Amino acid sequence: MIEITENDFSLDELVRKAKSNEAGAVVTFLGTVRDDGIEKMELEAFREAALPELERIRDEAAGKFNLKSVQIVHRIGSLAIGENIVAIVCSAGHRDEAFQGCRYIIEELKARAPIWKKEIGKKGERWVGHE
Amino acid sequence: MLIKVRAFASFREILGRERELDMAEGSKVEDLLAELCMSSMRFREAAFDDAGLLRDYVLLMINQKRIDPQQGLQTELQEGDEVAIFPPVAGG
Repeated sequence: MIEITENDFSLDELVRKAKSNEAGAVVTFLGTVRDDGIEKMELEAFREAALPELERIRDEAAGKFNLKSVQIVHRIGSLAIGENIVAIVCSAGHRDEAFQGCRYIIEELKARAPIWKKEIGKKGERWVGHE
Repeated sequence: MLIKVRAFASFREILGRERELDMAEGSKVEDLLAELCMSSMRFREAAFDDAGLLRDYVLLMINQKRIDPQQGLQTELQEGDEVAIFPPVAGG
């Protein structure tokens, strides 16, 4: 499953989807809103371009690391400190592949997926990565 | 010909989420950007430096495909094309 959504998600549900009889390892990455002195974060996506990019990243990772299943959910909208931003769940035959696949996906997502976040603080607002 | 412009993040705040521009046949991406500069001084300042060069944090897509920020400006637009303008991505 690949999804960009305003709604929160259940990591347990994603793990359940990733499990299979061929998988001996499930690795999860959960990104959350860190308190850097901000009040909240606003996330925005170019959904029509982001979804195919995430599909390409998933397919690359599945091929490179022999993954059995990949689940990616990224939230958009207004998120408070501590809320979930992104989940990546990878299953593979063995843990090395699952760890590497999960790492590959989050790094490529951050570099390539057209998604942006803005930190809203008491002193003002700032688009992350846009100096 | 009608060209749809979509802007995201900081450029959405300047240009609005979406607009349609009626461009002359044969117009290039750089003509579209010039048109946007004419309509918004804020956009001109955000997207171009003092020498008139596109700033390197301005990213462009045509029909959801990234174009080279320099050579891509010469790309000829076609009726119905969708041009997206956005800053560097920062998801995750």
